[in-house]
Amino acid sequence: MTNLIKAEMFKLQRNRTFWALIATVAGLSTFLHYLVIIDWWQMHGTVFDRAGLSELDALSTFTVPLFFNLIVSTLAGFFISIEFSNSGVIRNQIISGHKRSHIFIAKLLVFSLGSIIVTVLIPVITAIIIAILFGQGDGLSLTHAMYLGRAYGLFTLQFLAFASIIMLLAIITGDQGKTIILSILFTIAMFAVEKLSKPFFLEMVYENTIFYQFTEVFQLTMTNGEIMKSIIIGVLSCMMISLCGILVFNRKEIK
Amino acid sequence: MNDYVLRTNHLTKKYKKDIALNNVNVSIKRGEIYGLIGRNGAGKSTMLRLITGLAFPSGGSIELFGKIQPNVAIDAQKRMGAIIEQPALFPNMSAYENLEVHRLQKGIPGRECIDKTLELVSLMDTGKKKVKNFSLGMKQRLGLAIALLSDPEFLILDEPTNGLDPMGIVEMRELIKRLNREKGVTVLISSHILSELHQLATNFGIIHQGQLIEELTTTELDEKCRQHLRIKVDNPTMGATVLEQQLSTTDFEVMQDGTLKLYNYLDDVRTVSRALTNHGLTILHLSQNGDSLESYFSKLVGGEEND
Repeated sequence: MTNLIKAEMFKLQRNRTFWALIATVAGLSTFLHYLVIIDWWQMHGTVFDRAGLSELDALSTFTVPLFFNLIVSTLAGFFISIEFSNSGVIRNQIISGHKRSHIFIAKLLVFSLGSIIVTVLIPVITAIIIAILFGQGDGLSLTHAMYLGRAYGLFTLQFLAFASIIMLLAIITGDQGKTIILSILFTIAMFAVEKLSKPFFLEMVYENTIFYQFTEVFQLTMTNGEIMKSIIIGVLSCMMISLCGILVFNRKEIK
Repeated sequence: MNDYVLRTNHLTKKYKKDIALNNVNVSIKRGEIYGLIGRNGAGKSTMLRLITGLAFPSGGSIELFGKIQPNVAIDAQKRMGAIIEQPALFPNMSAYENLEVHRLQKGIPGRECIDKTLELVSLMDTGKKKVKNFSLGMKQRLGLAIALLSDPEFLILDEPTNGLDPMGIVEMRELIKRLNREKGVTVLISSHILSELHQLATNFGIIHQGQLIEELTTTELDEKCRQHLRIKVDNPTMGATVLEQQLSTTDFEVMQDGTLKLYNYLDDVRTVSRALTNHGLTILHLSQNGDSLESYFSKLVGGEEND
Protein backbone atom coordinates (compact mmCIF):
# COMPACT_ATOMS: atom_id res chain seq x y z
CA MET A 1 0.00 0.00 0.00
CA THR A 2 2.83 2.41 0.91
CA ASN A 3 4.50 1.56 -2.41
CA LEU A 4 1.31 2.39 -4.27
CA ILE A 5 0.93 5.72 -2.47
CA LYS A 6 4.56 6.60 -3.25
CA ALA A 7 3.98 5.77 -6.92
CA GLU A 8 0.80 7.85 -7.01
CA MET A 9 2.61 10.78 -5.37
CA PHE A 10 5.35 10.52 -7.99
CA LYS A 11 2.73 10.60 -10.74
CA LEU A 12 0.90 13.55 -9.17
CA GLN A 13 4.11 15.55 -8.95
CA ARG A 14 4.68 14.97 -12.67
CA ASN A 15 1.10 15.58 -13.71
CA ARG A 16 0.94 18.65 -15.94
CA THR A 17 -2.77 19.21 -15.32
CA PHE A 18 -2.13 19.35 -11.57
CA TRP A 19 0.47 22.10 -11.98
CA ALA A 20 -1.65 23.94 -14.55
CA LEU A 21 -4.58 23.89 -12.09
CA ILE A 22 -2.36 25.14 -9.27
CA ALA A 23 -1.13 28.01 -11.44
CA THR A 24 -4.64 28.85 -12.67
CA VAL A 25 -6.28 28.73 -9.25
CA ALA A 26 -3.42 30.68 -7.64
CA GLY A 27 -3.64 33.33 -10.37
CA LEU A 28 -7.42 33.52 -10.25
CA SER A 29 -7.52 33.59 -6.46
CA THR A 30 -4.86 36.32 -6.29
CA PHE A 31 -6.71 38.35 -8.89
CA LEU A 32 -10.14 38.00 -7.25
CA HIS A 33 -8.83 38.80 -3.78
CA TYR A 34 -6.95 41.78 -5.10
CA LEU A 35 -10.15 43.07 -6.76
CA VAL A 36 -12.01 42.66 -3.46
CA ILE A 37 -9.29 44.39 -1.47
CA ILE A 38 -9.09 47.42 -3.77
CA ASP A 39 -12.91 47.56 -3.59
CA TRP A 40 -13.26 47.11 -7.34
CA TRP A 41 -15.35 44.03 -6.64
CA GLN A 42 -17.69 44.59 -3.76
CA MET A 43 -19.24 41.47 -2.34
CA HIS A 44 -21.84 41.77 0.37
CA GLY A 45 -23.55 39.27 2.59
CA THR A 46 -21.00 36.52 2.14
CA VAL A 47 -20.27 34.15 5.02
CA PHE A 48 -16.82 35.72 5.37
CA ASP A 49 -18.38 39.17 5.50
CA ARG A 50 -20.60 38.07 8.35
CA ALA A 51 -17.58 36.61 10.13
CA GLY A 52 -15.79 39.95 9.90
CA LEU A 53 -13.40 38.68 7.25
CA SER A 54 -14.60 40.80 4.34
CA GLU A 55 -11.08 40.89 2.89
CA LEU A 56 -11.44 37.18 2.26
CA ASP A 57 -14.82 37.56 0.55
CA ALA A 58 -13.54 36.15 -2.74
CA LEU A 59 -12.95 32.85 -0.97
CA SER A 60 -16.69 32.22 -1.13
CA THR A 61 -16.32 31.67 -4.90
CA PHE A 62 -14.10 28.68 -4.19
CA THR A 63 -16.60 27.06 -1.83
CA VAL A 64 -19.37 26.74 -4.42
CA PRO A 65 -19.65 23.15 -5.73
CA LEU A 66 -20.50 24.35 -9.24
CA PHE A 67 -17.16 26.14 -9.32
CA PHE A 68 -14.80 23.82 -7.49
CA ASN A 69 -16.24 20.83 -9.33
CA LEU A 70 -14.63 22.19 -12.50
CA ILE A 71 -11.24 21.98 -10.81
CA VAL A 72 -11.75 18.60 -9.17
CA SER A 73 -13.27 16.92 -12.23
CA THR A 74 -10.49 18.23 -14.46
CA LEU A 75 -7.91 16.75 -12.11
CA ALA A 76 -9.89 13.49 -11.93
CA GLY A 77 -10.09 13.34 -15.70
CA PHE A 78 -6.41 13.94 -16.30
CA PHE A 79 -5.06 12.08 -13.28
CA ILE A 80 -7.42 9.11 -12.89
CA SER A 81 -9.50 8.53 -16.04
CA ILE A 82 -6.59 9.04 -18.41
CA GLU A 83 -4.95 5.93 -16.97
CA PHE A 84 -7.91 3.88 -18.17
CA SER A 85 -8.18 5.45 -21.61
CA ASN A 86 -5.27 6.97 -23.52
CA SER A 87 -2.22 5.48 -21.88
CA GLY A 88 -3.83 2.39 -20.37
CA VAL A 89 -1.21 2.42 -17.60
CA ILE A 90 -3.77 1.10 -15.15
CA ARG A 91 -3.02 -2.30 -16.73
CA ASN A 92 0.54 -2.22 -15.41
CA GLN A 93 -0.70 -1.37 -11.95
CA ILE A 94 -3.14 -4.29 -11.87
CA ILE A 95 -0.56 -6.68 -13.30
CA SER A 96 1.94 -5.53 -10.65
CA GLY A 97 0.26 -7.83 -8.13
CA HIS A 98 -1.52 -5.45 -5.77
CA LYS A 99 -5.07 -5.86 -4.56
CA ARG A 100 -7.46 -3.72 -6.54
CA SER A 101 -8.88 -2.27 -3.32
CA HIS A 102 -5.37 -1.09 -2.36
CA ILE A 103 -4.85 0.44 -5.79
CA PHE A 104 -8.16 2.28 -5.47
CA ILE A 105 -7.45 3.56 -1.96
CA ALA A 106 -3.95 4.77 -2.94
CA LYS A 107 -5.39 6.62 -5.92
CA LEU A 108 -8.21 8.10 -3.85
CA LEU A 109 -5.85 9.32 -1.11
CA VAL A 110 -3.45 11.01 -3.51
CA PHE A 111 -6.23 12.38 -5.71
CA SER A 112 -7.97 13.80 -2.61
CA LEU A 113 -4.72 15.35 -1.47
CA GLY A 114 -4.18 16.92 -4.89
CA SER A 115 -7.76 18.20 -4.96
CA ILE A 116 -7.46 19.71 -1.48
CA ILE A 117 -4.20 21.43 -2.41
CA VAL A 118 -5.71 22.97 -5.54
CA THR A 119 -9.22 23.72 -4.30
CA VAL A 120 -8.77 24.51 -0.61
CA LEU A 121 -5.16 25.28 0.27
CA ILE A 122 -4.15 27.43 -2.69
CA PRO A 123 -7.17 29.80 -2.46
CA VAL A 124 -6.87 30.12 1.33
CA ILE A 125 -3.10 30.71 1.27
CA THR A 126 -3.29 33.25 -1.56
CA ALA A 127 -6.23 34.99 0.17
CA ILE A 128 -4.27 35.34 3.41
CA ILE A 129 -1.12 36.53 1.60
CA ILE A 130 -3.07 39.13 -0.42
CA ALA A 131 -4.91 40.27 2.71
CA ILE A 132 -1.60 40.69 4.55
CA LEU A 133 0.14 42.43 1.64
CA PHE A 134 -2.61 44.68 0.37
CA GLY A 135 -5.25 44.64 3.12
CA GLN A 136 -6.14 47.23 5.67
CA GLY A 137 -3.90 45.63 8.23
CA ASP A 138 -6.74 44.18 10.28
CA GLY A 139 -4.96 40.88 10.56
CA LEU A 140 -6.43 37.64 11.71
CA SER A 141 -7.62 37.55 15.28
CA LEU A 142 -7.76 34.30 17.23
CA THR A 143 -11.56 34.24 16.80
CA HIS A 144 -11.15 34.61 13.03
CA ALA A 145 -8.52 31.89 12.93
CA MET A 146 -10.77 29.59 14.96
CA TYR A 147 -13.69 30.29 12.64
CA LEU A 148 -11.60 29.60 9.55
CA GLY A 149 -10.10 26.48 11.15
CA ARG A 150 -13.49 25.06 12.07
CA ALA A 151 -15.18 26.01 8.78
CA TYR A 152 -12.39 24.76 6.54
CA GLY A 153 -11.83 21.65 8.67
CA LEU A 154 -15.46 20.63 8.19
CA PHE A 155 -15.47 21.82 4.58
CA THR A 156 -12.44 19.62 3.83
CA LEU A 157 -14.22 16.64 5.35
CA GLN A 158 -17.25 17.16 3.07
CA PHE A 159 -14.87 17.87 0.22
CA LEU A 160 -13.20 14.46 0.69
CA ALA A 161 -16.59 12.80 0.20
CA PHE A 162 -17.11 14.94 -2.91
CA ALA A 163 -13.70 13.92 -4.24
CA SER A 164 -14.73 10.28 -3.68
CA ILE A 165 -17.83 10.84 -5.85
CA ILE A 166 -15.75 12.35 -8.64
CA MET A 167 -13.21 9.54 -8.32
CA LEU A 168 -16.06 7.02 -8.59
CA LEU A 169 -17.28 8.75 -11.77
CA ALA A 170 -13.74 8.75 -13.16
CA ILE A 171 -13.40 5.00 -12.53
CA ILE A 172 -16.82 4.21 -14.02
CA THR A 173 -16.35 6.26 -17.18
CA GLY A 174 -12.61 5.71 -17.66
CA ASP A 175 -12.57 8.74 -19.93
CA GLN A 176 -11.50 12.33 -19.23
CA GLY A 177 -14.27 14.04 -21.20
CA LYS A 178 -17.06 11.89 -19.81
CA THR A 179 -15.79 12.36 -16.25
CA ILE A 180 -15.84 16.14 -16.57
CA ILE A 181 -19.23 16.28 -18.30
CA LEU A 182 -20.93 13.84 -15.94
CA SER A 183 -19.58 15.57 -12.84
CA ILE A 184 -20.79 18.94 -14.15
CA LEU A 185 -24.24 17.46 -14.78
CA PHE A 186 -24.18 15.93 -11.32
CA THR A 187 -23.35 19.21 -9.58
CA ILE A 188 -25.94 21.05 -11.67
CA ALA A 189 -28.50 18.47 -10.55
CA MET A 190 -27.50 18.96 -6.90
CA PHE A 191 -27.66 22.75 -7.39
CA ALA A 192 -31.17 22.37 -8.81
CA VAL A 193 -32.21 20.20 -5.88
CA GLU A 194 -30.90 22.89 -3.52
CA LYS A 195 -32.71 25.75 -5.23
CA LEU A 196 -36.01 24.16 -6.20
CA SER A 197 -38.81 23.59 -3.74
CA LYS A 198 -38.99 19.97 -2.80
CA PRO A 199 -41.16 17.62 -0.78
CA PHE A 200 -40.46 17.30 2.93
CA PHE A 201 -38.82 13.90 2.62
CA LEU A 202 -36.46 15.06 -0.13
CA GLU A 203 -35.70 18.22 1.86
CA MET A 204 -34.81 16.09 4.87
CA VAL A 205 -32.56 13.83 2.79
CA TYR A 206 -30.86 16.81 1.15
CA GLU A 207 -30.15 18.44 4.51
CA ASN A 208 -28.20 15.35 5.45
CA THR A 209 -25.93 15.42 2.42
CA ILE A 210 -22.49 16.92 1.91
CA PHE A 211 -23.98 19.41 -0.56
CA TYR A 212 -26.05 21.03 2.15
CA GLN A 213 -23.07 20.87 4.49
CA PHE A 214 -20.89 22.80 2.04
CA THR A 215 -22.95 25.88 2.98
CA GLU A 216 -23.70 24.99 6.58
CA VAL A 217 -20.08 24.61 7.67
CA PHE A 218 -19.44 28.30 6.95
CA GLN A 219 -22.16 29.48 9.36
CA LEU A 220 -20.75 31.96 11.83
CA THR A 221 -21.77 29.84 14.77
CA MET A 222 -22.39 26.16 14.95
CA THR A 223 -23.51 24.19 17.97
CA ASN A 224 -21.58 21.12 19.05
CA GLY A 225 -24.46 19.01 17.77
CA GLU A 226 -24.29 20.64 14.34
CA ILE A 227 -20.53 20.15 14.21
CA MET A 228 -20.94 16.50 15.17
CA LYS A 229 -23.67 16.05 12.58
CA SER A 230 -21.44 17.60 9.92
CA ILE A 231 -18.56 15.30 10.89
CA ILE A 232 -20.78 12.22 10.79
CA ILE A 233 -22.24 13.16 7.38
CA GLY A 234 -18.78 13.81 5.96
CA VAL A 235 -17.17 10.65 7.36
CA LEU A 236 -20.09 8.34 6.54
CA SER A 237 -20.48 9.75 3.01
CA CYS A 238 -16.77 9.40 2.40
CA MET A 239 -16.73 5.81 3.64
CA MET A 240 -19.83 4.74 1.76
CA ILE A 241 -18.81 6.31 -1.54
CA SER A 242 -15.28 4.91 -1.23
CA LEU A 243 -16.72 1.47 -0.57
CA CYS A 244 -18.88 1.81 -3.68
CA GLY A 245 -15.77 2.86 -5.60
CA ILE A 246 -13.86 -0.20 -4.40
CA LEU A 247 -16.75 -2.50 -5.36
CA VAL A 248 -16.97 -0.93 -8.82
CA PHE A 249 -13.21 -1.09 -9.35
CA ASN A 250 -13.04 -4.70 -8.15
CA ARG A 251 -15.55 -5.70 -10.81
CA LYS A 252 -14.24 -3.49 -13.59
CA GLU A 253 -12.69 -5.23 -16.55
CA ILE A 254 -9.74 -3.32 -17.92
CA LYS A 255 -9.71 -2.83 -21.67
CA MET B 1 8.07 -28.00 -6.61
CA ASN B 2 5.35 -27.38 -9.17
CA ASP B 3 6.65 -27.80 -12.70
CA TYR B 4 3.84 -25.82 -14.22
CA VAL B 5 3.96 -22.05 -14.27
CA LEU B 6 0.53 -21.77 -15.80
CA ARG B 7 -2.37 -24.14 -16.18
CA THR B 8 -5.82 -23.18 -17.29
CA ASN B 9 -8.72 -25.48 -16.65
CA HIS B 10 -11.71 -25.11 -18.98
CA LEU B 11 -11.09 -21.38 -19.09
CA THR B 12 -14.10 -19.64 -20.58
CA LYS B 13 -14.93 -16.01 -21.22
CA LYS B 14 -18.30 -14.83 -22.44
CA TYR B 15 -19.36 -11.33 -23.39
CA LYS B 16 -23.17 -11.40 -23.31
CA LYS B 17 -23.92 -13.86 -26.12
CA ASP B 18 -20.41 -13.95 -27.60
CA ILE B 19 -18.00 -16.61 -26.41
CA ALA B 20 -14.51 -15.13 -26.61
CA LEU B 21 -12.81 -18.14 -25.04
CA ASN B 22 -14.30 -21.59 -24.77
CA ASN B 23 -13.01 -24.31 -22.41
CA VAL B 24 -9.35 -23.60 -22.99
CA ASN B 25 -6.85 -25.89 -21.27
CA VAL B 26 -3.29 -24.66 -21.60
CA SER B 27 -0.30 -25.94 -19.66
CA ILE B 28 3.02 -24.14 -19.62
CA LYS B 29 5.97 -25.73 -17.89
CA ARG B 30 8.81 -23.86 -16.24
CA GLY B 31 11.43 -22.78 -18.78
CA GLU B 32 9.21 -23.08 -21.84
CA ILE B 33 8.65 -20.41 -24.45
CA TYR B 34 5.03 -20.92 -25.36
CA GLY B 35 3.87 -19.32 -28.58
CA LEU B 36 0.19 -18.55 -28.81
CA ILE B 37 -0.90 -18.45 -32.44
CA GLY B 38 -4.23 -17.22 -33.64
CA ARG B 39 -5.93 -14.85 -36.01
CA ASN B 40 -7.22 -11.45 -34.97
CA GLY B 41 -10.15 -11.95 -32.63
CA ALA B 42 -9.27 -15.60 -32.02
CA GLY B 43 -9.12 -15.00 -28.28
CA LYS B 44 -5.37 -14.62 -27.69
CA SER B 45 -5.52 -11.23 -25.99
CA THR B 46 -8.64 -12.25 -24.04
CA MET B 47 -6.74 -15.21 -22.69
CA LEU B 48 -3.75 -13.08 -21.73
CA ARG B 49 -6.05 -10.51 -20.08
CA LEU B 50 -7.64 -13.25 -18.00
CA ILE B 51 -4.27 -14.63 -16.93
CA THR B 52 -3.03 -11.19 -15.91
CA GLY B 53 -6.22 -10.38 -13.98
CA LEU B 54 -7.35 -7.52 -16.22
CA ALA B 55 -10.57 -9.40 -16.96
CA PHE B 56 -12.45 -12.12 -15.12
CA PRO B 57 -13.28 -15.57 -16.40
CA SER B 58 -16.90 -16.58 -16.94
CA GLY B 59 -15.96 -20.17 -16.22
CA GLY B 60 -13.02 -22.43 -15.46
CA SER B 61 -9.94 -21.56 -13.46
CA ILE B 62 -6.38 -20.32 -13.77
CA GLU B 63 -3.50 -21.86 -11.89
CA LEU B 64 -0.42 -19.67 -11.65
CA PHE B 65 2.69 -21.06 -9.97
CA GLY B 66 0.53 -23.82 -8.50
CA LYS B 67 -1.98 -21.49 -6.92
CA ILE B 68 -5.54 -21.81 -8.11
CA GLN B 69 -7.77 -18.87 -7.66
CA PRO B 70 -11.11 -18.26 -9.20
CA ASN B 71 -10.25 -14.77 -10.30
CA VAL B 72 -6.76 -13.42 -9.90
CA ALA B 73 -3.76 -14.94 -8.21
CA ILE B 74 -2.42 -11.73 -6.64
CA ASP B 75 0.74 -13.23 -5.11
CA ALA B 76 1.57 -15.10 -8.29
CA GLN B 77 1.22 -11.89 -10.28
CA LYS B 78 4.16 -10.43 -8.38
CA ARG B 79 6.31 -13.04 -10.09
CA MET B 80 5.08 -12.03 -13.54
CA GLY B 81 5.80 -9.31 -16.04
CA ALA B 82 3.55 -8.54 -18.96
CA ILE B 83 2.83 -6.41 -21.98
CA ILE B 84 -0.80 -6.71 -23.01
CA GLU B 85 -1.75 -5.26 -26.39
CA GLN B 86 0.25 -2.04 -26.69
CA PRO B 87 2.75 -1.00 -23.99
CA ALA B 88 1.11 1.09 -21.28
CA LEU B 89 3.27 4.17 -20.76
CA PHE B 90 3.08 7.70 -19.36
CA PRO B 91 3.57 9.84 -22.49
CA ASN B 92 4.75 12.94 -20.62
CA MET B 93 7.44 11.14 -18.69
CA SER B 94 10.87 9.97 -19.78
CA ALA B 95 11.78 6.29 -20.02
CA TYR B 96 13.58 6.58 -16.67
CA GLU B 97 10.56 8.19 -14.99
CA ASN B 98 8.23 5.54 -16.41
CA LEU B 99 10.40 2.87 -14.87
CA GLU B 100 10.63 4.82 -11.61
CA VAL B 101 6.81 4.73 -11.29
CA HIS B 102 6.91 0.97 -11.62
CA ARG B 103 9.87 0.61 -9.31
CA LEU B 104 7.99 2.52 -6.62
CA GLN B 105 4.83 0.54 -7.30
CA LYS B 106 6.60 -2.78 -6.92
CA GLY B 107 8.68 -1.58 -3.98
CA ILE B 108 12.00 -2.48 -5.57
CA PRO B 109 14.82 -1.01 -3.43
CA GLY B 110 17.45 1.17 -5.12
CA ARG B 111 17.40 2.74 -8.56
CA GLU B 112 20.18 0.56 -10.03
CA CYS B 113 17.59 -1.78 -11.52
CA ILE B 114 16.33 1.07 -13.74
CA ASP B 115 19.71 1.67 -15.39
CA LYS B 116 20.26 -2.06 -15.71
CA THR B 117 16.89 -2.62 -17.40
CA LEU B 118 17.26 0.40 -19.69
CA GLU B 119 20.62 -0.97 -20.79
CA LEU B 120 19.09 -4.39 -21.38
CA VAL B 121 16.56 -2.94 -23.85
CA SER B 122 19.03 -0.44 -25.37
CA LEU B 123 17.26 2.69 -24.14
CA MET B 124 20.11 4.04 -22.02
CA ASP B 125 20.70 7.11 -24.17
CA THR B 126 17.12 8.44 -24.28
CA GLY B 127 17.84 10.85 -21.41
CA LYS B 128 14.99 13.26 -20.72
CA LYS B 129 13.23 12.61 -24.01
CA LYS B 130 9.52 12.22 -23.37
CA VAL B 131 7.91 8.91 -24.25
CA LYS B 132 5.38 10.67 -26.51
CA ASN B 133 8.31 11.46 -28.81
CA PHE B 134 9.50 7.84 -28.92
CA SER B 135 9.15 5.67 -32.02
CA LEU B 136 6.80 2.68 -31.82
CA GLY B 137 9.79 0.38 -31.53
CA MET B 138 11.22 2.36 -28.61
CA LYS B 139 7.84 2.24 -26.89
CA GLN B 140 7.75 -1.54 -27.34
CA ARG B 141 11.22 -1.82 -25.83
CA LEU B 142 10.23 0.39 -22.90
CA GLY B 143 7.11 -1.74 -22.40
CA LEU B 144 9.37 -4.77 -22.23
CA ALA B 145 11.66 -2.95 -19.79
CA ILE B 146 8.68 -2.34 -17.48
CA ALA B 147 7.75 -6.00 -17.69
CA LEU B 148 11.35 -6.99 -16.90
CA LEU B 149 11.99 -4.48 -14.11
CA SER B 150 11.25 -6.84 -11.24
CA ASP B 151 13.11 -9.84 -12.71
CA PRO B 152 9.94 -11.83 -13.42
CA GLU B 153 9.90 -15.62 -13.55
CA PHE B 154 7.06 -15.59 -16.05
CA LEU B 155 6.85 -13.14 -18.90
CA ILE B 156 3.66 -12.58 -20.88
CA LEU B 157 4.10 -10.76 -24.16
CA ASP B 158 1.21 -9.88 -26.44
CA GLU B 159 2.50 -9.07 -29.93
CA PRO B 160 5.82 -7.70 -28.65
CA THR B 161 7.32 -7.21 -32.10
CA ASN B 162 4.55 -4.86 -33.29
CA GLY B 163 6.12 -1.77 -34.76
CA LEU B 164 9.68 -3.03 -34.56
CA ASP B 165 11.98 -2.81 -37.57
CA PRO B 166 13.74 -6.00 -38.75
CA MET B 167 16.76 -5.30 -36.54
CA GLY B 168 14.48 -4.57 -33.61
CA ILE B 169 12.69 -7.89 -34.16
CA VAL B 170 15.98 -9.76 -34.14
CA GLU B 171 17.11 -7.93 -30.99
CA MET B 172 13.81 -8.64 -29.25
CA ARG B 173 14.03 -12.31 -30.21
CA GLU B 174 17.60 -12.60 -28.96
CA LEU B 175 16.70 -10.82 -25.73
CA ILE B 176 13.79 -13.17 -25.02
CA LYS B 177 15.96 -16.19 -25.83
CA ARG B 178 18.72 -14.88 -23.57
CA LEU B 179 16.30 -14.29 -20.68
CA ASN B 180 14.94 -17.78 -21.13
CA ARG B 181 18.39 -19.38 -21.40
CA GLU B 182 20.28 -17.44 -18.75
CA LYS B 183 17.59 -16.65 -16.20
CA GLY B 184 15.19 -19.48 -16.90
CA VAL B 185 12.33 -17.06 -17.55
CA THR B 186 9.21 -18.82 -18.78
CA VAL B 187 7.61 -16.93 -21.64
CA LEU B 188 4.09 -16.86 -23.03
CA ILE B 189 4.13 -14.94 -26.27
CA SER B 190 1.45 -14.25 -28.82
CA SER B 191 2.20 -13.07 -32.30
CA HIS B 192 0.87 -12.92 -35.82
CA ILE B 193 4.32 -13.32 -37.26
CA LEU B 194 4.41 -17.08 -37.37
CA SER B 195 7.94 -17.37 -38.75
CA GLU B 196 9.09 -15.17 -35.87
CA LEU B 197 7.35 -17.35 -33.30
CA HIS B 198 8.75 -20.44 -34.99
CA GLN B 199 12.29 -19.22 -34.35
CA LEU B 200 11.56 -18.46 -30.72
CA ALA B 201 9.01 -20.79 -29.18
CA THR B 202 9.56 -24.26 -27.80
CA ASN B 203 5.85 -25.00 -27.65
CA PHE B 204 2.85 -23.78 -29.56
CA GLY B 205 -0.82 -23.38 -28.87
CA ILE B 206 -3.08 -22.70 -31.80
CA ILE B 207 -6.23 -20.85 -30.88
CA HIS B 208 -9.16 -20.33 -33.18
CA GLN B 209 -12.58 -18.85 -32.51
CA GLY B 210 -11.96 -19.02 -28.77
CA GLN B 211 -10.89 -22.65 -28.74
CA LEU B 212 -7.46 -24.17 -28.39
CA ILE B 213 -7.42 -26.43 -31.42
CA GLU B 214 -3.90 -27.78 -31.14
CA GLU B 215 -0.93 -27.80 -28.77
CA LEU B 216 2.40 -29.06 -30.03
CA THR B 217 6.14 -28.78 -29.52
CA THR B 218 8.55 -27.28 -32.05
CA THR B 219 9.72 -30.78 -33.00
CA GLU B 220 6.15 -31.90 -33.64
CA LEU B 221 5.43 -28.80 -35.64
CA ASP B 222 8.59 -29.21 -37.71
CA GLU B 223 7.62 -32.77 -38.33
CA LYS B 224 4.18 -31.73 -39.53
CA CYS B 225 5.57 -29.04 -41.74
CA ARG B 226 8.33 -31.21 -43.23
CA GLN B 227 8.18 -31.74 -47.00
CA HIS B 228 7.42 -35.35 -47.97
CA LEU B 229 5.95 -37.61 -50.59
CA ARG B 230 2.61 -39.00 -49.59
CA ILE B 231 2.21 -42.44 -51.11
CA LYS B 232 -0.77 -44.74 -50.92
CA VAL B 233 -0.34 -48.24 -52.35
CA ASP B 234 -2.51 -51.36 -52.25
CA ASN B 235 0.03 -53.13 -49.98
CA PRO B 236 1.70 -50.76 -47.53
CA THR B 237 3.94 -53.42 -45.95
CA MET B 238 5.31 -54.37 -49.34
CA GLY B 239 5.63 -50.68 -50.21
CA ALA B 240 7.76 -50.08 -47.12
CA THR B 241 10.00 -53.01 -48.02
CA VAL B 242 10.46 -51.67 -51.54
CA LEU B 243 11.44 -48.24 -50.22
CA GLU B 244 13.91 -49.78 -47.83
CA GLN B 245 15.45 -52.31 -50.20
CA GLN B 246 15.14 -50.77 -53.63
CA LEU B 247 15.59 -47.10 -52.75
CA SER B 248 17.88 -47.72 -49.76
CA THR B 249 16.06 -45.25 -47.51
CA THR B 250 14.75 -45.44 -43.99
CA ASP B 251 13.62 -41.85 -43.89
CA PHE B 252 9.94 -42.65 -44.17
CA GLU B 253 6.97 -43.39 -41.96
CA VAL B 254 4.05 -45.74 -42.25
CA MET B 255 0.97 -44.01 -41.00
CA GLN B 256 -1.94 -45.74 -39.26
CA ASP B 257 -4.08 -45.64 -42.41
CA GLY B 258 -1.28 -47.29 -44.37
CA THR B 259 -0.10 -44.13 -46.05
CA LEU B 260 3.65 -43.90 -46.53
CA LYS B 261 5.39 -40.58 -45.84
CA LEU B 262 8.72 -40.48 -47.63
CA TYR B 263 10.98 -37.60 -46.66
CA ASN B 264 13.53 -37.91 -49.45
CA TYR B 265 13.43 -38.46 -53.20
CA LEU B 266 11.35 -35.29 -53.32
CA ASP B 267 12.92 -34.31 -56.64
CA ASP B 268 12.83 -37.80 -58.06
CA VAL B 269 9.23 -38.95 -57.91
CA ARG B 270 9.62 -41.01 -61.11
CA THR B 271 12.22 -43.32 -59.50
CA VAL B 272 9.92 -43.89 -56.54
CA SER B 273 6.86 -44.70 -58.66
CA ARG B 274 8.90 -46.97 -60.96
CA ALA B 275 10.32 -48.88 -58.00
CA LEU B 276 6.86 -49.44 -56.57
CA THR B 277 5.16 -50.45 -59.83
CA ASN B 278 8.06 -52.74 -60.77
CA HIS B 279 7.22 -54.77 -57.69
CA GLY B 280 3.60 -55.16 -58.72
CA LEU B 281 2.23 -52.49 -56.40
CA THR B 282 -0.65 -50.30 -57.49
CA ILE B 283 -0.17 -46.65 -56.64
CA LEU B 284 -3.46 -45.26 -55.37
CA HIS B 285 -2.12 -41.84 -54.48
CA LEU B 286 1.19 -40.04 -54.86
CA SER B 287 1.67 -36.41 -54.05
CA GLN B 288 4.20 -34.03 -52.63
CA ASN B 289 3.05 -32.66 -49.29
CA GLY B 290 4.33 -30.56 -46.43
CA ASP B 291 3.48 -27.08 -45.31
CA SER B 292 5.14 -23.90 -44.43
CA LEU B 293 4.20 -22.81 -40.92
CA GLU B 294 1.77 -20.31 -42.42
CA SER B 295 0.00 -22.82 -44.64
CA TYR B 296 -0.14 -25.39 -41.84
CA PHE B 297 -1.73 -22.80 -39.59
CA SER B 298 -4.01 -21.67 -42.36
CA LYS B 299 -5.22 -25.24 -43.00
CA LEU B 300 -5.79 -25.80 -39.32
CA VAL B 301 -7.96 -22.74 -38.80
CA GLY B 302 -9.98 -23.15 -41.93
CA GLY B 303 -7.80 -21.26 -44.40
CA GLU B 304 -9.16 -18.85 -46.90
CA GLU B 305 -12.80 -19.46 -46.14
CA ASN B 306 -12.32 -17.50 -42.96
CA ASP B 307 -10.48 -14.65 -44.52
